[in-house]
Amino acid sequence: MKRTFVLTAAMVFCGFSAWAESHAADAKTAETAEAVTMEQEVDLEAAEKIFRKSCRACHGNKAQGASSYPSLSDKEPAYIVEKLERYRAGEKFGPNSVLMIQHAKKLSDSDIVSLSVYVTTAFD
Amino acid sequence: MKRVNFLSALPVVASLLAGTAMVTSPALAQNGMNTTMLQSEVVLDGLDNPWDMAFLDDGTMLFTEKCKGLSVRMPDGTVNALYGVGATEGYASNGADLFCEGQAGMMGVAFDPDFANNRRIYVYSTSNMSTPHTNRLMRFTVNEDFTAVADRTDIVDDVPYKMAASNHPFGGPGAHNGGRVRFGPDGALWLTTGDTHNGMVPQSPTMMGSKVLRLDTDGNAHPDNAPPEGFDKRTYTYGHRNVQGIAFHPETGQAITAEHGPWHSDEITILRNGGNAGWDPRPNMAGRGDCPDNYCGYSPNQEEGMNRYERAAFMPMTDFDTYPDAMPPIWNNNGWSQGTSSAAFLSGEAWGDWDGAMVVGIMGIGFGGTPIGQRIDVIHFNDDNTDVEDVTEMTLPMEPGRFRSVVMGPDGGLYTAIDEGTIYKLTPGN
Repeated sequence: MKRTFVLTAAMVFCGFSAWAESHAADAKTAETAEAVTMEQEVDLEAAEKIFRKSCRACHGNKAQGASSYPSLSDKEPAYIVEKLERYRAGEKFGPNSVLMIQHAKKLSDSDIVSLSVYVTTAFD
Repeated sequence: MKRVNFLSALPVVASLLAGTAMVTSPALAQNGMNTTMLQSEVVLDGLDNPWDMAFLDDGTMLFTEKCKGLSVRMPDGTVNALYGVGATEGYASNGADLFCEGQAGMMGVAFDPDFANNRRIYVYSTSNMSTPHTNRLMRFTVNEDFTAVADRTDIVDDVPYKMAASNHPFGGPGAHNGGRVRFGPDGALWLTTGDTHNGMVPQSPTMMGSKVLRLDTDGNAHPDNAPPEGFDKRTYTYGHRNVQGIAFHPETGQAITAEHGPWHSDEITILRNGGNAGWDPRPNMAGRGDCPDNYCGYSPNQEEGMNRYERAAFMPMTDFDTYPDAMPPIWNNNGWSQGTSSAAFLSGEAWGDWDGAMVVGIMGIGFGGTPIGQRIDVIHFNDDNTDVEDVTEMTLPMEPGRFRSVVMGPDGGLYTAIDEGTIYKLTPGN
């Protein structure tokens, strides 16, 4: 499995390079810099455990949303990160803030990043 | 530890990682022993919050989707979209006034017991036809080939709806509508409602939230209803919190509710005509002071988890101190609140020892130390059918979900809808 991840990571970078080369030089430089600064490791296995324990019961077994709980799978990772960081800081927004704050306050930075990738990609 | 690199700026990364996640996620193991005793079959998938189902003897199944509308699945498997919520496309006709918000939308559905002759069905949905908006119980007729409904008549148009957000958990508009629609063995039409996060509703004699209504098919009060003096005569019981489960005991015929608790004490209650379920979340009652937005339902601590028995002592689900004659629950989910939502009685010899037992669908919450608890419980009554003798958690042959609805099918299968979008059929097997 580890080999799969190494290969995937390489594909990611190849994919990025191919995508970036299709853009103008200035844009390419800017995008590359942004991408490099945002590069982080994610732990999908740990994210899955958190998801199953803390997210799945409300947001659905595929993060598709359920009842009054919104879909996560159709969002971008950056969106999830931003929301989780605000909840972790204790900010109230939206009707289920109390629930989210309680769950989010236990998360580390790396948990949040990993979760954001997991919920937005694992159920495609 | 498995790690990959995350480049959030790139859509292509997301798509590639998606493949990775799929490959590396372990196959979901089935639960432990007895899984071979039940078999599951996906009846419909990809639905939008399926809320309720109703059956004819030939297997024709009405089903509702909270934000989309009413459809029918024919015995050959074809699905006809009958009546859409708002402007939802693809339906034979639409209720322009119907809408969904939070927990509200299209909910319960029932066939008339005399459907073969009158073609009538009943659907409960949130409507903006009046302001404040309300929940309505609508009656329709269905055409011969089950492709359209007509003759909408709103036989109940005054069940409260929560218009605005409030400072409570789950505090958005649309909270606590109840929503189950069933015919009892007496031929009466029953509707369950909720408190809309309004402290005044449960004990109100006139506001039709937090009630179990017993009606005729025109929406009139059943003549034998016996609520206290001054109450709306449609009231069979009152003082509930948010009843989404009602079923009728196959031997006694008694109506039995399954109800969400307020972060403690989900309840099953054998109803008594005119009875009070004892929920009264008004501020400055029973030793309580002021509460957020005049609703004590999540007090004394609605920000964090706390001991469920302390919660129950402060804000009881059934307040016997204030209402000594309140209907006693026969089950309180071991003091937990886990989203108890629906109820039915198993029927058929194939169910073995469970034949005649009650099943309760539990959606799961998981907050403040409460176990999530997504499951279907099998509730065994005592010989007198007056109390719970034993509770068995159904060992499921599929992954659990938010079990919104459990309904017995005419084929002896137990149909269950989960909010995630699937209707399953569970059958006892070898």
